[in-house]
Amino acid sequence: MVRLEVRVSFSYNQKEVLKNVSFSAEEGKLLAIVGPNGAGKSTLLKCLVGILKPKGYAKLNGINLLNLKPKERAKYISYVPQSSYPEFAFTVEEFVELGSYATGGTVEDALKTVGMWERKHELVTKLSGGEYQLVLVARALAQGSNVMLLDEPTSHLDINHALRIMNLLKALKKEKVVVAVMHDLNLALNYADNLLILDKGEVRWIGKPSKLTPEVLEEVYEIKAKITEVDSLKIVTAIE
Amino acid sequence: MKKLIPLLISSVLLILLGIAVGPVRISLSGILASFSLENIKIAFSSPNMLEENAYIILQIRLPRIILAYLVGVSLASAGTASQALFKNPLADPYIIGISGGAAVGASLAALYFPQYMSISALFGAVLAVFTVYKIAKVNGHIPVDTLLLAGIALGFFTSALTSYLLYVRKEGIHNAIFWLMGTFNGSEWDDVKLVLFSSTLGVIFLFFTWKELNLLLLGEESISMGLDINLYRKLIIGVISLLTSFAVATSGIIGFVGLISPHAMRIVFGPNHKRLLPASALFGGSLMVFADILARMLLRPSEIPVGIITALFGAPFFIYLLMKKKRGELLG
Repeated sequence: MVRLEVRVSFSYNQKEVLKNVSFSAEEGKLLAIVGPNGAGKSTLLKCLVGILKPKGYAKLNGINLLNLKPKERAKYISYVPQSSYPEFAFTVEEFVELGSYATGGTVEDALKTVGMWERKHELVTKLSGGEYQLVLVARALAQGSNVMLLDEPTSHLDINHALRIMNLLKALKKEKVVVAVMHDLNLALNYADNLLILDKGEVRWIGKPSKLTPEVLEEVYEIKAKITEVDSLKIVTAIE
Repeated sequence: MKKLIPLLISSVLLILLGIAVGPVRISLSGILASFSLENIKIAFSSPNMLEENAYIILQIRLPRIILAYLVGVSLASAGTASQALFKNPLADPYIIGISGGAAVGASLAALYFPQYMSISALFGAVLAVFTVYKIAKVNGHIPVDTLLLAGIALGFFTSALTSYLLYVRKEGIHNAIFWLMGTFNGSEWDDVKLVLFSSTLGVIFLFFTWKELNLLLLGEESISMGLDINLYRKLIIGVISLLTSFAVATSGIIGFVGLISPHAMRIVFGPNHKRLLPASALFGGSLMVFADILARMLLRPSEIPVGIITALFGAPFFIYLLMKKKRGELLG
């Protein structure tokens, strides 16, 4: 059983952006990180993959990933960044191959998992937003790591592609620790096994989505909220 | 890799054409006779003993054309690597001021310690690339406008310094033209040896780092894929400086070859450096030999500095790229 334990603090320009953020995530359970804009969600992921240098640890079955060299760390943890328009016209296959740099993982399996193998010769600059997101996930899959972090994997996607991504994560969590920063509370509530609410660089709430109360949301988002359940689907509505 | 064959053929043809043309007309049989085993032996032992035609071919045209080709390879490879390093298809050793830095180093050495010219040019180039990098970086990114402005500012500054150095030492306008406009006039086998060393070292290094160059295009994200980005940025800066400075030390500042070559080749081969690097190097070499042929032939028997030719073609191309960038079409 793969288990990731995290405790990190991070300061930028003498401002504390992450204050002793502590949580654990494990194989088989999708952890969604939500919170208001500027809460430090993306910063947290960047700290865990080595783009930023935090204080603390991120232990994967006891190995502190933060102390490893980039090439070694990439074997354990992969990252799907927030989707921005691709700047260079790689083919889908070449683009996913970039992910196999450290590990030599197989591009074919990764592309087949996301259902884009038949499109391998197309240019990433010609893909739709949803297809590009799938290719970004495939690039992280090609790393063959035990942990996958995703930064807002469904933002800017239509409902069809958003659900496709969420179902993909549901399948991936069976063999990986999957942690996704989500902006869509409803998707997070219905797909995640555990929810972490980050606000102003601090963990404000952590637990099962079923235990989340409107009071917590009201406090963090400064809104009046209501959580209703229709056909076992949870829906968050802002009342005013 | 089959697509590289036309580039190889055009390289060979242009080198042959470069040897064949010049202010002195030499017949084809005269050219072939120059390459006799006997002439080559003399060229190695006592080149001044060569008869006139053989001397022109083996001691004047051949080193000049080979130098031009190697400088073209160096600048195109440095341009390709710069564009990956800066994540910016408008980067080029000339536009971002590296050539200017190298020229200050080289002209300074030319006046005070001529035996260290290449090393001094290398030092100038490294200093320039670090300066541009520091000035242009905004929150970890290098936007096009700050990159170009930093490069232009540094270019003005270094060209003023080079001109000043040559002016105060009364070295004459000829030297100033050499450094600021670039020429292969008067190239010698010793120049060829220098650039053969730097281009072989630099180009082989870049070929071995094609995966890292691809990853650099992704910027900081590539760290999560295992790239030691700080290490490779430093190494690539070193290689770009080596390639550019040895080229500048032997032939002055020649602009735009480093910009045009990777661009043209990216259209055909795509952004993958596995194919882009060799294509760009071969294209750059051919382009430079072609530009040098024009430089020698357009106002025959006098010569135009080759940097003027490359700028005449390169500057409009650069403006075209800027317009594309403005319309958001510059995706390589």
